Amino acid sequence: MSGDFNIVGRSVVRQDAYAKVTGQAKFADDYKFPGMLFGVMVRTDVSHALIHSIDYSGLLDYPEVTVCDINDIRGSRKVGVVTADQPVFCYEKIVTPGDVICMLVGADESQLKLLTAKVKTELEELPLITDPEKALDPDATFIHPDKKSNLIVHYPLRKGDVEKGFHESKHVIEQKYTTPLIEHAYLEPEAVTAVPIEGRGGVRIIGSIQNPHTTRRIVAEVLNFPLTKVRVVQAELGGAFGGKDDLMNIISARAAIAAIKTRRPVKVRYTREESVVESYKRHPYIMKYKVGFNDDGIIKAMKIDILADGGAYASMSPFVTWRTVVQATGPYEIENVHTDVRAVYTNNPYTGAMRGFGSPQPIFAQESLMDEIAEIIGVSPYEIRKINGVKPGSITASGHKLRDHDVNLLSVLERAERETNFTERHKECSRSANTKFQTSQKFRGSGFILKKDEMLDNRDIIKKGIGLAVSLRGCSLGAEGIDAAAAYLSVQKDGSAYLISGLAENGQGLRTTFSIIAAEVLGISPEHIYYLEQDTGIIADSGPTVASRSTIMGGSAVKNAAEIIKKRFEEMLLTYWNIKSKDQLLFKNNRVYEQSRSISFSELCSLAYSKGLNMSAIGWFKGPSVHWDEEKGQGAAYFTYVYGCQVAEVSANLLTGEIFVDRIVAVHDPGKIINLMGAKGQVFGGVTQGAGYALWEGITTYNGNIRENNFDQILIPTSKDIGEIESIFLEGEDIYGAWGAKSLGEPTLELTAAAIANAVKNATGLRYFNLPLNPEEILLSRKLSPNDLSRGSTN
Amino acid sequence: MKRDIELFSTWKLDEALELLEDGNSHVIAGGTDIIPGIHINSNRFRDFNKLVDISRIKELKRISEEKDKIIIGAATTFSEIESDEILQRHLPLLVKAVSKIGSRQIRNRATIGGNFINNAPCADSVPPLLVYNAGIKINSIHHERMINLEDFLISPYRTSLTNEEIVTEIVIHKPRESLNDVFYKLGRRRGVAISRITLAILFEIKNNKFTDFKIASGAVTPIGKRFYEIENYADGKKIDRDLLIDISIRCGKAVLESTGLRWSSEYKLPVLQRLIYSLLEDNCLRR
Repeated sequence: MSGDFNIVGRSVVRQDAYAKVTGQAKFADDYKFPGMLFGVMVRTDVSHALIHSIDYSGLLDYPEVTVCDINDIRGSRKVGVVTADQPVFCYEKIVTPGDVICMLVGADESQLKLLTAKVKTELEELPLITDPEKALDPDATFIHPDKKSNLIVHYPLRKGDVEKGFHESKHVIEQKYTTPLIEHAYLEPEAVTAVPIEGRGGVRIIGSIQNPHTTRRIVAEVLNFPLTKVRVVQAELGGAFGGKDDLMNIISARAAIAAIKTRRPVKVRYTREESVVESYKRHPYIMKYKVGFNDDGIIKAMKIDILADGGAYASMSPFVTWRTVVQATGPYEIENVHTDVRAVYTNNPYTGAMRGFGSPQPIFAQESLMDEIAEIIGVSPYEIRKINGVKPGSITASGHKLRDHDVNLLSVLERAERETNFTERHKECSRSANTKFQTSQKFRGSGFILKKDEMLDNRDIIKKGIGLAVSLRGCSLGAEGIDAAAAYLSVQKDGSAYLISGLAENGQGLRTTFSIIAAEVLGISPEHIYYLEQDTGIIADSGPTVASRSTIMGGSAVKNAAEIIKKRFEEMLLTYWNIKSKDQLLFKNNRVYEQSRSISFSELCSLAYSKGLNMSAIGWFKGPSVHWDEEKGQGAAYFTYVYGCQVAEVSANLLTGEIFVDRIVAVHDPGKIINLMGAKGQVFGGVTQGAGYALWEGITTYNGNIRENNFDQILIPTSKDIGEIESIFLEGEDIYGAWGAKSLGEPTLELTAAAIANAVKNATGLRYFNLPLNPEEILLSRKLSPNDLSRGSTN
Repeated sequence: MKRDIELFSTWKLDEALELLEDGNSHVIAGGTDIIPGIHINSNRFRDFNKLVDISRIKELKRISEEKDKIIIGAATTFSEIESDEILQRHLPLLVKAVSKIGSRQIRNRATIGGNFINNAPCADSVPPLLVYNAGIKINSIHHERMINLEDFLISPYRTSLTNEEIVTEIVIHKPRESLNDVFYKLGRRRGVAISRITLAILFEIKNNKFTDFKIASGAVTPIGKRFYEIENYADGKKIDRDLLIDISIRCGKAVLESTGLRWSSEYKLPVLQRLIYSLLEDNCLRR
C-alpha cells in the first residue's frame, strides 16, 4: 500500500482556510441569541486570603442584575482534571489573583463591569508563597488546607544504581537550569455562551472550547446534570495550544449556572487582560542535573531533581510532570537513572497544559548538558548524541524496550548533520568566538559608565553560532489515562459524506487531515467530505485533543470507519458485478475500477442506497495497553514514539545582547505524513513558538500578580523576528496510526529553545542556564524587571 | 469600561477648532494612542467626553517644500512620510525613524503630530525632529503660534498644548544635503517593537573634524532629548577613536544624570555607550 497513495502525503489546503482568511468563520463571540445576557467576573485585589464574607448590598439598587456565586451550585463546588481543588466560584479562600468570587449577570455588559466595584468582600490576607522552592518548607502556609501539603505530585524514577554509576565515572558535572512561566498567547480570548434548552431541560454550550467532552463532564458535574443534558458545541477555535481546557470548562460552567438561573442565554467573553490573569500557563521548572560519564562519552549515570511551579491549582500538573519524568533523560540510553519530579502549589498563576506538556523544559536542560559533556571530552555535539542516543532495541530510562517502529533518532540526527554541515561549522564558529566578550562578562555590573577599553570593536559585535537538539517523544497520552477515539462516517447517496471524530479541531488542521484519510480509503476527493460541527451530542467521547494524539488516535479511528464502509461496498460489488475476488477492485479518482469496467463513486452510492446498504459506520481505535509502576517509575509508558532533531543557526549581537535566529532546520520523523502542507504548518508554528520560548517570552509576577497582561508586553515573535525555517520529514514506519501516521505538533516546538541555546553558546562562548535568553541574560546573565507592577514604556 | 464619547469628524480645520473651543474635547487623528488608552482606562484619556477627528482635514496632511523649509501637516501618517519623495531627499533621518515604528497597520494610521503630542519617552519621531530643530505651528479658534518642538515637549506625556489647540504643521529648515545622518532603534524584537533606545545623529566632517554635530536620544531619557554640551564639545574636534569613545562616555554620563538609576540602567547604560561608539566608528572613522 505504501508509496501508492491518491492524496495522502500531498499538500492539501485546509478546509477552513478560506473562511478564516476572509473573516467569514464563526468564532465563539460571533454567536448571538435573542434575549442573551452577559456574565462579568468579580475578582479581588489579593493573592492569598481567607474569605470571611461577600456583601452584595451595593447591588440592591440594580434589580436587573443577577448574581451567581457558590450558592447557585447544585453539584461539585470544586473541579479539576485530576484533583478537584479549583472552585467554580471561590468561597473559602483566594489563592491567586485570577480567582473569581462571583459573576454578575445582566443585559448591559459595560454596566456590569462598573458594578463589579460594588461587591464588597471581607478578607483576611495570608502569607504569600511565590517561590516554589519554599512551598515545601515546614512552616509554609498550605494553599489548600485540606490537602495538608503544598505538594501536588511527586514522581520518582529509579533505574540501576546511580551512586555506582557516578563512582564508575571519570567526570561528574552538576548544573541547574530554569525556564519561565509562559502564556499560550492564543489570538482569541475565552468566550462561551450557555443556552438553556427549552422544553426538555438541559443546557447547550457553544464556545471557544478545546475539549468539548471534558467541558461537558465538568459542566454536568457542577450542575449535577446527567452528561446527556449538557450538549457542548465547539465554535471555530481561535487558537488553544493546550490553553482552552480547564479554564474554558470552568467559564462554561459559570455561564451554564447563570443560564439555568435566569432561563436566558448567557455569554461570557474575556478581555485580553482577563484572559491573561485567569488562564493557566506553562510551568516554570527548576532543574538540577548531575551526570557521570567517561572519556569515551558514554553516560554512566544521571541524577535529576526537577521542581515545577504548579501555581494555585493542580490542574494538569500531575500529567505534565509525568511526561517530564518519563522523558527527563532525553533520548539517551543510560544505565543508571535516579529522577525525582515534583510539582508544588504556590500563589502564582496556575499552570497546566501547553504545547510541549512537560518536555520543552527538560529538553532545554538535558540538551544543554549534552553539549557540555561533549565539550569536556572533546567530541562534537553530533558525536556525543550518536554515542548515547537510543537505537532499535534500546531501553529507555523507564525500562521500555523500543521496538515495533523505526527508532529513527540517529537517522534524523544524521540527516540534520548532513543538511547543515553541522560539525564543521560548529568547530569553525567556536574557534572565532570572542574571547574578549567572555572575559568582559566576568566584570559584568561593575559600573554603569564604561571605561575607555570597554568599547567593542565593530568587527567583534556579530558572532555566528550553530547548535542542535534531539528528542524522543511518547505519542498520545501513554499511561496518563484511557486512550481511545471514535469517528463517524456517513456516506450519502450522491457520493458525498459526513465525517466527524470525537477529537476536535484546535486549529491544527484536524478536519482536513481526517477528511484526507477517509477520502484516501474510499478513493474520493477530500472536498466530497463535509466535516460536521463538533458536538458532544453526535459523537462519542474520545478523550481530549491533546498530546499530539489527533492524527495517531483519531486518524486511526477515521481509517477504521472508512474501511468498514469500503468493505460493505466491495461485498455489494461482488454480487453486482458477479465477481469472485475483491482483490481487483480499485477505489481511485472518485471511481471504483474492476479490470476494464468501472463505476463512479456517486453511482455506486446511489446503487447502494437503493439496495438498503448501510453506508454509515463508527470507527474506533483503542491504543495498545501501557503501564506504569508509580513507585519505581518503570514501565512501557507510551505505545510508540517519534523522533526529531533541530539545528539552529544564530547571529549573536555581543553589543546589545540580541540573538537573531538566521535559520532553523527541523528534521522530524512523525511517521507517515497525511497532509504535507499541514505538517509544514506545524513546523513553522512550533519552531516560531519554540524560538519565542528561547529568546523573548516569559510572564513575570509580583506577589503573584502578572506584570505583562497584554501583547504590548507579552512578546511573541513576529514574522520579522525569525529567519528561514526548513522542514525535512523522515517518514518512519510504525504498526500504529493510519499507515503509520503518528505525531508532530509538539515535537516541533519542544526542541527549538534547546537548539538555540546551544547555538548561542557556540556563538558567544558562554553557556546560559536560564530561559529566555533575552538581551539582559546575554549581557548580564540575569533578568531585570521593575520592583513593582508599573507599566512604563521605558523598559 | 463603558464610557459615552461623542465623535465629531470634519473636513474643515475651522470647524475642528470651533468644536475644540469648549475645552472639554480631545483631538483624535490616528487614534493609535488614544483608543488603547481609553481601553485600559488610562488617566491620561479620562477627562473628555468628546473626540474631534482631524484625520480627514486635507490641509493637515500636506507635505510641501518651500525655498528654505519643509512643511509637514501634523496629521500626516507615518506611511505617508515614509513614501514621500521630498522627505526622502531632505529629511532622510526622519524617514528612517518613522519606517521603524510599530507595524504597517499602525504606520497607516498613526500620525507624526500624534507621536510627539503624546510625548511618550519612546516616541520614535522625536529624536530626529529634535536634531532637525523642528518648529511647530499651533492653531486655536482665536490665535496661531509657532514654537520650537523642544520647548513644546515638557515632560513625559505632557506638552504645552491646551485643550483648545491643534498642532497643525511641523516646520523644518532644509538641512544641508551634505549632512550625514544615523538613526538607530533598539527594541525587544524586530517587528512591532516599542523602542528601548533610540538615537538620532547628524554631523558633517570637514578636515577630519566634526562640524554641526547633533545628537538626540529617545527612550533612555524621560522624553526625547538633545545633548547640547556634547555637541559643542564634539564640534571642531579632530575625529579619532579617542574622541568617539569620549563622546560615547559623555552621553552615558548625561543620560545617567538626566534619569538617575533605574531598574534597566545596568543593561541600558553600557549598551547605550557602546552603541554610540559603534555607530560613530561605523559612520565617521572609516571615511
